[in-house]
Amino acid sequence: MNLLNIGRVSYVKENGYQTRIMAIYQFINHHLYFNRPDIEIKGEPFNSTILFSLLTGLMKGKELIIGEPGLGKTTSAEFIGSLIYQLPLGMIWGSEVSGHPEQTEEKIIGRPDLGKLNRGQEDVVWTHFSQIPVKIVDEINRLPETKQSMILDGVDRGNWEYLNEMIINEEYCLFATANYQDGGTNTIIAPLVDRFDVVVESRYPGPNLSFLIGKSRRKDQILRNPKHEKDLYRVLTSKIAYEKKIPQMEEICNAFGDYLHKTIGIKPLRKEDREQIRSEVETLDLDLDASAFTRMLLSELSFCDRYGQKRIIENCEEGCHFSEYLCHEIKNCASNRLPTSIKLYAQGLAWLLGDSEIDMEHVKAVMPYNLSHRIQWKDEILSQKERAKRDDPFQIYLAKEAVKTLSHRYQEQSEHLKDALAVGSKIFQGEPLEFLEGDHPLYTEIRKDIPPIK
Amino acid sequence: MKSIHSPERTSSRCTDGDLHGPRNPFEEFQTFAFQKREIPLDQIVQSAEQVMDQIRLGYEKLLEEEAKELVWMVQYNTIIKAYEVAERYIKEIDYTAEDIEDFCFALENTQKIPYLIPGPAGIYISALCNYAKEGEIVLKLSELKTEINLIGFRLPKEKRLTVEGDTGDFTGISLEGGELVVEGNAKNWTGAGMRSGKIWVKKNIGLHTGEWMMGGEIYVGGRVRGLGNIVEGKVFERDKLVYPGKVRYPNQYY
Repeated sequence: MNLLNIGRVSYVKENGYQTRIMAIYQFINHHLYFNRPDIEIKGEPFNSTILFSLLTGLMKGKELIIGEPGLGKTTSAEFIGSLIYQLPLGMIWGSEVSGHPEQTEEKIIGRPDLGKLNRGQEDVVWTHFSQIPVKIVDEINRLPETKQSMILDGVDRGNWEYLNEMIINEEYCLFATANYQDGGTNTIIAPLVDRFDVVVESRYPGPNLSFLIGKSRRKDQILRNPKHEKDLYRVLTSKIAYEKKIPQMEEICNAFGDYLHKTIGIKPLRKEDREQIRSEVETLDLDLDASAFTRMLLSELSFCDRYGQKRIIENCEEGCHFSEYLCHEIKNCASNRLPTSIKLYAQGLAWLLGDSEIDMEHVKAVMPYNLSHRIQWKDEILSQKERAKRDDPFQIYLAKEAVKTLSHRYQEQSEHLKDALAVGSKIFQGEPLEFLEGDHPLYTEIRKDIPPIK
Repeated sequence: MKSIHSPERTSSRCTDGDLHGPRNPFEEFQTFAFQKREIPLDQIVQSAEQVMDQIRLGYEKLLEEEAKELVWMVQYNTIIKAYEVAERYIKEIDYTAEDIEDFCFALENTQKIPYLIPGPAGIYISALCNYAKEGEIVLKLSELKTEINLIGFRLPKEKRLTVEGDTGDFTGISLEGGELVVEGNAKNWTGAGMRSGKIWVKKNIGLHTGEWMMGGEIYVGGRVRGLGNIVEGKVFERDKLVYPGKVRYPNQYY
């Protein structure tokens, strides 16, 4: 692949990992997952599904991909997982968990070793899903609600437990797909929804690209290699300890990566590459505007003047002074996972664009996708806006509108808000200053964060 | 609430990395040099309200002088007279383009302004736009229920006025070189008597478009319902020149 093709993103470091990631992005976009760009970040058009899935793979995130059946939800995750983790497609297919009502813990996590059990010994045979770093749960909302809790811990921490044994995934990312509600789907339980860092929609690519997809039949074969698939299968089913399997898997993955480099010209990421990228990403921090803006969002999503914080069981008081803010439009409170998700993806995006700090543009771009599944809007807001003209699914549209409104508010108040936070910091350090007043929940929250003097 | 903290009482608080005390949740802002700003939010709101009061007063005076009987006939002499009265009050006020937009909404939504008469209101808003400090003014009027007449009256050269929403009759009449953009529809007599400048109407336009127009250009993105008697100038309908030309005739409605 000619790297000149990716000159569009001209500000990435030359020969940096960013160039390699953008080459993977372009390869997927041009050869594997055809779709139109649907977001613009700093003047550059991106397809949100590819972009966020790449960031999910790189940042060890958790992504929920929604959309109509047959629009590439699972395949996009498979392609990205394959290229970021050097895993042959056949291996990824073989480790996917499909959501259906009869799914069991034994098929998802592990089962007793029946041979050993006959000899009176207890041992666990771990599933491929629990062992490989790219975890795909297909049609997660077809899992009954009671069974969704089986994967909560694994999804959250990478700890997979069965009987009295446990394996820990040091490096993993999760992609789950969900169809829109139909007769066979269930609601995804709130604790599981909250564990997803982002939600994106895999959209219809338009008739012309769709026609092109119909013509290119053998694209699945590009990322396959039977030899490496068999080798990986052998390692994963072997009876050695999980920790010992990892270096062996890495070796096969590297061989597969070299094979891809030779055949398609794309250099997938080795483990050390991914680690290096993550260490580069971790050095990026939010600039003051991005930090103040995120705090502003969090305060609006959690504030209640009357009852101390938002709670799903409590309703807003009539005539509340803060009725212009998001807290008045939503039912639930923002979780602590939200700022983590925002920072994780904004960091990844800033790094990918070659920026030295996370700025407003980065956080504004990722926020709607971090937010949309976590907000429960009040019914009146839903009915007010459901007929609005839009391109995105309703929840993502609502989140984008909320971020837009918030951004206008921030533009008006940014200097005063930053001053208030700076004053808060100085008061916290013991300087004899007065709190700055302002008409936003964040000013009240700043006061609450200064411990009372005894 | 005013809380004063003394330094000696807070020595146990720590910054980043210290595990023995609470962590400063605002530590990134520690080095941010905040300024004691002269105009806090309340003062901004207060000063905006003062400006709005002045603008409102000017409008009330205009109504008192020009439309005591609540009947206002659109005649050229009446318009000029009303405009002169408006000019007299507006010259005294220090306002911004945002205040004009606020005034447009206040016309419909507050009890403080007694009547919204589309004619005088349009004249007054036009005068506000013509005397505004800003060269480019955007009025977001799409939420307004009443279509205001006479917007863009005498809009001078080097001014660009964009109206988001629909406008009423007599939009951009006597335009004096400015650029008027209507993002929605405009009603009848648009651009009547304009001398120079440009009017863009993104959607449809009504009857008598460009009546006695002496120069300038009118661009319509949708349909032109009917042309007036045009002396000089150009009218385009969906990029096609309809005046001068044989495609359209004055006072014939399409």
